[in-house]
Amino acid sequence: MTQDQETAEFMAAGPDNGAAPVAGEDPAMSRILRRETHSSRAGAAVIAAVLVIILCVYALLEAGVRAVGQPPWLVDPTTAAERIIALPGGISSLLLGASGAVIAMAGLFFLLHAVLPGRRARHLLRDPRTAVVVDDEVLASALARRARMAANVTQEQVMVVVSRQTVVVNVRPTSGSRVSHDAVLAAVQAELEEMSPVPMPTVRVNLASSGVIGA
Amino acid sequence: MNGTPRALNRVLLFIIGIKLLAVGLLLLLLATVPAVADWWHGWAAGAWAGAENAFRQTRFPGREESWLWIVAGVVLVAIIVAMIAWLSQQGKGRANLLVASDDDSTVDGEVRIGGGVAEQALRAALTERPDLTGVSVATYEFKGQPGLRIRIQPRQGVAPHLLAAEVSQLVEALDLVIGQKTPVLVHMVSGARSRFTKAERVR
Repeated sequence: MTQDQETAEFMAAGPDNGAAPVAGEDPAMSRILRRETHSSRAGAAVIAAVLVIILCVYALLEAGVRAVGQPPWLVDPTTAAERIIALPGGISSLLLGASGAVIAMAGLFFLLHAVLPGRRARHLLRDPRTAVVVDDEVLASALARRARMAANVTQEQVMVVVSRQTVVVNVRPTSGSRVSHDAVLAAVQAELEEMSPVPMPTVRVNLASSGVIGA
Repeated sequence: MNGTPRALNRVLLFIIGIKLLAVGLLLLLLATVPAVADWWHGWAAGAWAGAENAFRQTRFPGREESWLWIVAGVVLVAIIVAMIAWLSQQGKGRANLLVASDDDSTVDGEVRIGGGVAEQALRAALTERPDLTGVSVATYEFKGQPGLRIRIQPRQGVAPHLLAAEVSQLVEALDLVIGQKTPVLVHMVSGARSRFTKAERVR
C-alpha cells in the first residue's frame, strides 16, 4: 500500500464514522499530514551527502595534483589502481573482509532508509479546524494516567506502549489489593474512543501476576 | 511541513546505498571466495588496461600528462556542487509572510501580514498554560501557500484531544483577527523535559 493510498484511506474514514474530518476542511492539509507522519530521511541524506563530498574532495585533490604533475599526497592514482587490481593479495583477508562488511552495512543502512516506508510513531487526531499530529508517547502518557486512576495504583506501576495498531497496558497491582482487568480495559478504551486517533489501535491489558509491596 | 525533497532523498539514498552495498559485498567475496578473486583479476586488469590506453591517447601535445585528469576534476567538482545543493534543500521552507494580498478597497496597494504576528500571538497565549512545558510556533511555506506549525510539548498525562480542541479555538480566534484561514498543523511532541517532570503536576 502506498502512502498516498493510506492517506486517502484516512480521509475516506472521516465521513463514514460521522466524526469530524481529520485535516479540517482543507484538502491541502492531507499532503502535509502524510509528510508529518512519515520520515523525511533528512538525517540519512545529510550523512550520505557529506560522505560523498569527502570522497570527492579527496579524489579531486589527487587528480589535481596529478594533473599539474606534482607528487601525490597520500597515494598515486596509478598505484592505487594497481593495488586494487591485485586485491585479495597485499592485505590480510581478515581486514579486507571486515572493511567489506562495514561498507556493506553502511550501504544497507542507506538502502533501507530509501526503501522502507519510514513511518513515524505518530497518530492523527480528528479536529474540525487544525491538523493535529500526536507523538505516540503523548498518547501513551495520557492513557497511562487514565489506567492508573482506574486501577488505583501509582504511576510507576503502569506502563503503556502505543504502537500503530495496538495499545498494550501493563499494570503491576499493589500486593493485597485486587485490580479489575475489565475496569482498566474499559477506562482505557473509553479514553481512546474520546481521543479517536487515526488509525485506531486496539487495547490489550496485561495484569502482572506478582504484586508490588508497599506501594 | 517543510519543503524537504522527499522523493529526491529516497532516490539518491537508494543509488548511494546500492553502490556502497555492491562495493562492500565485492570486498567480502574477494576476501572469502577464491573463484571471485580469479574473476576479479581478469576483469579489473582488462578495465585498467583500457583506462591506461585512454590516458595515453589524451596527452597534452608535448607533455606527459593527460587532459583526462582535468575532465575527472571537473566531474568531481560538479558532483560536489550537486551534493551541496542537495544538502541545502533539507528542511527549507521557512516563510516570512502570512498574508500578502490585495483588499477590495479603492486604495492601491497590498496588505501584508508577517508570520511573526501569528507566531507571537499564539506563543503568548500558550506559554502561560501550566499543562505545557514547551511551545514553538513557526511559519512555513508549503506549495506556495503559507501555513503555521504549532509544536507543543504537553506534560505527562495531559489528554491530547482536549488540548487540541483548545488550541483549535485559539486558531479560530486568530482566523478572525487575520481575516483569512491559514492551514495550521498542531504537533504534540514528547520531550525529555515532560518525561522527567512529575505527573502529579498535571491539572
